[in-house]
Amino acid sequence: MGSVGERIVVEGACKRYGAVTVFEDLALSVRDGETVCILGPSGCGKTTLLRAMHALIPLDDGRILIDGHSVTSPRRNVAMVFQHFGLMPWKRVRSNIAYGVELAGLDGGQARDRVAKYTEMVGLRGFEDHYPYQLSGGMQQRVGLARALAMEPDILLMDEPFGSLDAQTREILQDELLRIHALVPHTMVFITHSIEEAIAIGDRIVVLSARPGTVREIIAVDIPRPRTVDSVIKHPRFVDLRDRCWRLLRENAAA
Amino acid sequence: MTIREAQARGQTAARRRAFRPQATDWAVRLGAIAVVLAVWEFLAPSWNPIIIRPPSAIAVAFVELVQTGELQAALGISLRSFTAGLAIALVIGMFLGIVTGRSRIAFNALDPLVSALYSVPSVALIPLIGFVFKFQGDAPRVAAVALFCVFPILINTQQGVRNVDRGLLEVARAFNSSERRLWTDVIVPSALPFVLAGIRLAIGRGLIGMIVAEFFIGLVGLGYLIIQYGNVFRIDKMFVPVITVALLGIVSMGLVQWLEGRVAPWLRREQ
Repeated sequence: MGSVGERIVVEGACKRYGAVTVFEDLALSVRDGETVCILGPSGCGKTTLLRAMHALIPLDDGRILIDGHSVTSPRRNVAMVFQHFGLMPWKRVRSNIAYGVELAGLDGGQARDRVAKYTEMVGLRGFEDHYPYQLSGGMQQRVGLARALAMEPDILLMDEPFGSLDAQTREILQDELLRIHALVPHTMVFITHSIEEAIAIGDRIVVLSARPGTVREIIAVDIPRPRTVDSVIKHPRFVDLRDRCWRLLRENAAA
Repeated sequence: MTIREAQARGQTAARRRAFRPQATDWAVRLGAIAVVLAVWEFLAPSWNPIIIRPPSAIAVAFVELVQTGELQAALGISLRSFTAGLAIALVIGMFLGIVTGRSRIAFNALDPLVSALYSVPSVALIPLIGFVFKFQGDAPRVAAVALFCVFPILINTQQGVRNVDRGLLEVARAFNSSERRLWTDVIVPSALPFVLAGIRLAIGRGLIGMIVAEFFIGLVGLGYLIIQYGNVFRIDKMFVPVITVALLGIVSMGLVQWLEGRVAPWLRREQ
């Protein structure tokens, strides 16, 4: 299944927890190199869907294919960034960033080069010997991002990565992500409940309905790259896109 | 970069906050002790000297017992059974704690036994330990200390292993961690503070076990000194081993705290 260039294909996906159906009959696909934002009200199973894409939870029905293979365990070319950062409090920044590449079996020198490269890229140089508790939330998520980037994955799964940050920090990191994406383009799935974030980051926005989640509409974001959050908000298309997303989410909430 | 600067500033501020109060803290602590000693010294003469002796008399007795070598000999014996018992409790407690923390079957099999044994006041088992080890040598006293120490270590280790942050377990799975690396990266470090807290509790209980065993089983060590001088109404000398035990507790706890700072520096944020 899936036409050429489709990296992730979700077909008829369904997840239940007891009597509660989180999402059902969910279908979407992510093309090579594009960023798909999954936008939806809380409880619609956005995060659950992302976890299923990385085989962290099983589906009750349907299937998820990555590069044509059914996902049964976390794939080597996929890396994940977590809303809760997921840093080990007992590891310094350097070791936290090295965590994934070490587990992937890279030898010492290679691992060190990778860590140095992505530490630099996310703007953490000089903080290598800090513990996570010595960093602000924004800096901590930079570590989480560097840990994923260091895997040099072709697919990034972002689980509301900036959801727990304050507004200013969030915007700074959104810009950082856009800048990094321009440097090393990944195929990306980005979960968010912020409309502005979805428009700023995404090439397409998949709007999910409230529980049980299904795909309500897929919106193409016709704002050219390179982007910054500021340039997106000032773009003439922005208001229209935001209103469309808003209407879809509001209909949801009313229903 | 401005964030970096803000970050660095926040951090030195945090460091200052963490260290500056220590000097005043210690002044208050030592001051409180000095006040208690002064009041005691001042009021002691108004009581029967058989029952209450002033701190100065205890200090003199302390020097005497050190000069005769009695204190050192007793301390050596006590310390030997204390450290051996604590070490045994650490090995057994941590092993059983990890096993019961990780395996549902092991937990269900051992939990009733552990709960039952933990509910019995350990002191009640001292005579039994004496009989089992035939009241001979260090063994019964070491066993007593181990019995007193083992439960807080076991239960805390178990809790530590069970309370691992689920988010971090998920991170480990997301990065394809092996089972071995899961232990070294996630489970052991996150259980460590619990284990160390268990050891601190165990030290307090272990000292009780040590003294009680010396009262009832061995008649040696610091416990024996307390009984011996109590029987002849030398309250000043009786206080010397009591204070020594207290110091032993303070020093061991301090040692654990120091160790905590070394092996788990990330915990300092909470202090």
